Amino acid sequence: MKLHRRSLLRAAGVAIALPLLEALVPKRARGSDGKSVPKRMVCINTPLGVHPAFFFPKDTGRDYELSPYLEAFKEFREQFTVISGLSHPDIGPSHDSNQSFLTAAPHPERRAGFKNSISLDQFAAEHLYGQTRFATLPLSCEGSGLSWTKSGAPVPTESWPSGVFARLFLEGRPDEVQAQARRLADGQSVLDAVRDQAKKLEMSIGVGDREKLDEYFTSVRELEQRLAQAEAWSKKPKPKVDAKQPVDVRNSADLVGKTRLWFDLIHLALQTDSSRLVTLQLLGTSSVPPIQGVSQGHHDLSHHGQDPLKIAQLKVLELEKMKTLLTFLQQLRDTKEDGENLLDRTTIFFSSNLADASKHSVKNMPVLLAGGKFNHGQHLAFDENKNPPLCNLFVSMLQQMGIPADKFGSSTGTLTGLEIRG
Amino acid sequence: MVGQRSGISFILSASLFLLCAHATAAPPDEDIVRFQEKFKPFLTKHCAACHSGDKPKGNLDLEKLTLDLDEAKAREHWTAVSERLATGDMPPADRPRPDAQELKSFTEWLAPRVEAAEKVARAAQGRVVVRRLNRIEYENTIRDLLGVQVNLKEQLPLDSSADGFDNAGAAHHTSSFLMEKYLEAADTALNMAISNRPKPPPLVSKKYSIKDGHPVKNTTEDVYRFLDEGEVVCFCSSEWHNVSASTFYPQDGGNYRFRISASAIQSGDKPVTFRVTASGTRLTGLSGLVSYFDAPPGRPKVFEFTRHMEPRTTISLLPYGLAGANTVKQTGAEKWEGPGLAIQYIEIDGPLYDSWPPSSHKRLFGDLTQKNFKAYNFSDRVEVVSDQPLVDAERILKTFTRRAFRRNVAAEDIAPYLSIVQAKLDGGYTFEQAMRAAFKGVLISPDFLFLRERPGKLDDFALACRLSYFLWSTMPDDELFELAEQQTLQQPTVLRKQVERMLASSKAKAFTENFVGQWLGLREIDSTEPSHILYPEFDHLLKVSMIRETELFFDEVLQNNLSLTNFIASDFTLLNGRLAKHYGIPDVVGWEFQKTPLPPDSHRGGVLTMASVLKVTANGTTTSPVLRGAWVLDRILGAPAPPPPDNVSAIDPDIRGATTIREQLAKHRAVESCGVCHRQIDPPGFALESFDCIGGWRDWYRVTGNGASVTVDGRRMAYHKGKPVDPSDVMPSGEKFENVDQFKQLLLKDKPQLARAITSKLITYSTGRAPQPADRQAVDEIVAKNAAEEYGLRSLVHEVVQSEIFQTK
Repeated sequence: MKLHRRSLLRAAGVAIALPLLEALVPKRARGSDGKSVPKRMVCINTPLGVHPAFFFPKDTGRDYELSPYLEAFKEFREQFTVISGLSHPDIGPSHDSNQSFLTAAPHPERRAGFKNSISLDQFAAEHLYGQTRFATLPLSCEGSGLSWTKSGAPVPTESWPSGVFARLFLEGRPDEVQAQARRLADGQSVLDAVRDQAKKLEMSIGVGDREKLDEYFTSVRELEQRLAQAEAWSKKPKPKVDAKQPVDVRNSADLVGKTRLWFDLIHLALQTDSSRLVTLQLLGTSSVPPIQGVSQGHHDLSHHGQDPLKIAQLKVLELEKMKTLLTFLQQLRDTKEDGENLLDRTTIFFSSNLADASKHSVKNMPVLLAGGKFNHGQHLAFDENKNPPLCNLFVSMLQQMGIPADKFGSSTGTLTGLEIRG
Repeated sequence: MVGQRSGISFILSASLFLLCAHATAAPPDEDIVRFQEKFKPFLTKHCAACHSGDKPKGNLDLEKLTLDLDEAKAREHWTAVSERLATGDMPPADRPRPDAQELKSFTEWLAPRVEAAEKVARAAQGRVVVRRLNRIEYENTIRDLLGVQVNLKEQLPLDSSADGFDNAGAAHHTSSFLMEKYLEAADTALNMAISNRPKPPPLVSKKYSIKDGHPVKNTTEDVYRFLDEGEVVCFCSSEWHNVSASTFYPQDGGNYRFRISASAIQSGDKPVTFRVTASGTRLTGLSGLVSYFDAPPGRPKVFEFTRHMEPRTTISLLPYGLAGANTVKQTGAEKWEGPGLAIQYIEIDGPLYDSWPPSSHKRLFGDLTQKNFKAYNFSDRVEVVSDQPLVDAERILKTFTRRAFRRNVAAEDIAPYLSIVQAKLDGGYTFEQAMRAAFKGVLISPDFLFLRERPGKLDDFALACRLSYFLWSTMPDDELFELAEQQTLQQPTVLRKQVERMLASSKAKAFTENFVGQWLGLREIDSTEPSHILYPEFDHLLKVSMIRETELFFDEVLQNNLSLTNFIASDFTLLNGRLAKHYGIPDVVGWEFQKTPLPPDSHRGGVLTMASVLKVTANGTTTSPVLRGAWVLDRILGAPAPPPPDNVSAIDPDIRGATTIREQLAKHRAVESCGVCHRQIDPPGFALESFDCIGGWRDWYRVTGNGASVTVDGRRMAYHKGKPVDPSDVMPSGEKFENVDQFKQLLLKDKPQLARAITSKLITYSTGRAPQPADRQAVDEIVAKNAAEEYGLRSLVHEVVQSEIFQTK
């Protein structure tokens, strides 16, 4: 079989297109060198919707009145934009819409024949490759996450903050460091041996099989690159932080506790410039969370079927959840980098794959966009039946990060009404 | 052509024109001419109005559909066109009928061309695309290849599915992240298989009393009664009184044998059921659960099991269905008169090894000697050494790759791995380190990770693999390899004998778990947790019992070659006490399952009315006839409904009880464009409305809003009595049914369709792809044979295995 160089390059992305040396040498693009300011992006999905009546403001524009949930964020009024009416086209009402949250791949709910595509963070990572120890940090409070590769394969997510903390900040014992170095070296030579086999695959193989094996060999090649990166980084000391290694929240119902730990860790990761791209899937559990005034599971409450008692509890729960985000914004605002605060250098996209979990609808997704260099301070409202695709916002976010993208997923342009500050 | 208004002609001719550039790909000229002149106007007239433009109906855009039948998608679409025209489904009933003669001449022209193209394509590349092992298959294959039981599944990402199963090649993608996980998994497995200890870890062999363990020792609540010799009676089932042998907390992982001695006291003549769970794993459905057991009244019984324990973990026990701790506390354990679980002792032995070094180590390295190689904190560490490293490496790798690649290997197959050894030795690695690197190379190679098949009839090794991954979800065993080597596996009698042998093996459990787990959705049992306001009776034992019932029922039908009709209606099922109570069937107690005849008025029998299926088709608070109906059409009737249109919002459920789902749906069905599909989808769903979210029978809905109060076992429930359930409806054929019993009888009228549906599922699962329109005849042949065998399930498995479709790539 002939491995198509072109397809290899296409699938491997920027990594391979870069000159080898440049790709291997970790670089740290900081504002102080007068060239580029590090910009970050954090994308958060809360999987069971946000109760629309409490989230969306009633009026639009700059002078809107804060909604019950946004009231908590009043100190940040000029640093966020609330957007209504957005959605991904061609996605049916279902929890499966989770899979397309950052990819916009059509019809995850049909399951059969669904093929995912690259997620926003992985797309951005291709442009920021090599700048930080971790190109992306895909995190999750439970199970699957939000990040997907170009071929539509899931990027494994981290579920335990303590482990991520160790990878980011702790140097291992000497024997562990040595074992890790050996693993990296072995990994590379083993991959090398396997990659050579691409040459001897039969010519007679069919188109479908060839695609699958192409994908395999491309993955091998990409992993070799990543291991080389990891090896280069492993020779540099990890950043030191004052924070202690967190103790994981083992209670699988504790959505607030788990979310808090992740936000603390993300804050540390951004502050130390260990990664600039983070995705976080929050918890949507069926179990009863340990929150005062909540006696039913989150899933159950979100599917309230108009029961006023459930809606009241849902409000208590969702407010607690929103407050974790608030604390995170405060942490970023209070952290300085090159005389600027971290919030101005970090775009936070907070939304849900479900607009209204009670009917599993996916139109009019709740969107809170905070931080970064946007002209914030307004409620941008779109007609949910004639709305621009959510991907237009994604393109705006990419451009704000300085990534020269004019298209992502189902986008038709940038998001009208959302301006980038000069 | 220029003068025609329809877009079809232009685009079609354009694409045909493009294709002419590739000499082999283009349809013959006379076909193009014929199409343009004769059939294009026909399509324009009857189909183009809906099937073209911005939003073509059913995603079929005839404007963009190429006539190049080398393209798989084009073949698929043209097949659909020809079939739906032929059956009269299209054009829809409210449109003018095409002239019968015209229609016939078009379909008769099109169908054979599509079929011929399909044949050519299959000869070149096979019906299915190459399959990667999914994570379950990966773990099992490593287990059988290396001889170690290690949880690798959880280290690997979830596999995506196609056609309802996660072993479909087309759905699987490889990424560098996955490859990294494979590297890690290979490390984990090899660390487990290769021993660096000079002698086995110290053996634990001890009788434990739960009085020394948590929480008996630490609780301040008076809920335990202490007897002689460490015997303790537990009287409450509150979760925080999960008792454990927590003084057993081994530093070394491995297999441990547990012997728990227990009895029921003050229980009359009834057993007390208790569960054993493994610490460190979250108890969901079956994960984390060792098992439930029935402690008998009177003389204690010893329950023995062997389980792999991770280091620093232990087991816990909790009696089921006893009083709450707060109730027991009021009288105190001494005076408490309710039933209790007496635990005399827990005896534990392990880690168990049949030899040292363990057999997994010997399987790789044979009898090569080990010498001391100190490491940090590990002074007596040993490693395998060799006097003639490359000779040994070649010998070892030859045996290993043959099993890992599941076929005969040649020198060139081993060469890359031998060169890893060479390079590593040159780089100063020890022999064992170099060998580990080579093993790792084998375990991430495409020959290991993919099931490689060549187009055409499968060779004996590929057939052995297909069979083995079908019935065992793992690699072939020695006997299958031997038959493949002798090239006798293809013989029908040999194959039949092997299928019998494989179904009798304990490994066939994987078939039930993975096939039924996906066909009937059992894997989704944990995806929603029923509202405890509406369903306070739902508990872990009930959930686990639901899954077991369905699995055991499938096994019963399979092992005894019972008719497939049992999946629709049966006069028996497998019940334990908890489930029997749930179904309202008397005289079954305890955890153990028994085949139970069903009373005529039970409304149970068959899989549709099993609690498991009813639970996975509901969402925890409400049931939807639409979702359940679509599920039945897809899983049982083999006629999946088209996906819902994008522009229709889902129904907003109302559990306050003001309106029923039937009332909400009625409006929807009244709209003709909705009714077309909903007349098919809703009837099975309405029949199942008699069952609530957890599969309990209901005559009325449980609501949280206004309604009469409800009392169960003397306790006032938090829900109220809502509107009555109306399970009646009309089938698309016009036949009426009043309830689920009548509905099942209507389904039984079309046995071939049922057999066709299940055959399709079996083919999908066993080959990695659903049968395509071109396979209809092959499926029908299997169904016809199966009809002659009175639709026996075991016969059907044989017929699938003996079929050409199974034995061809």
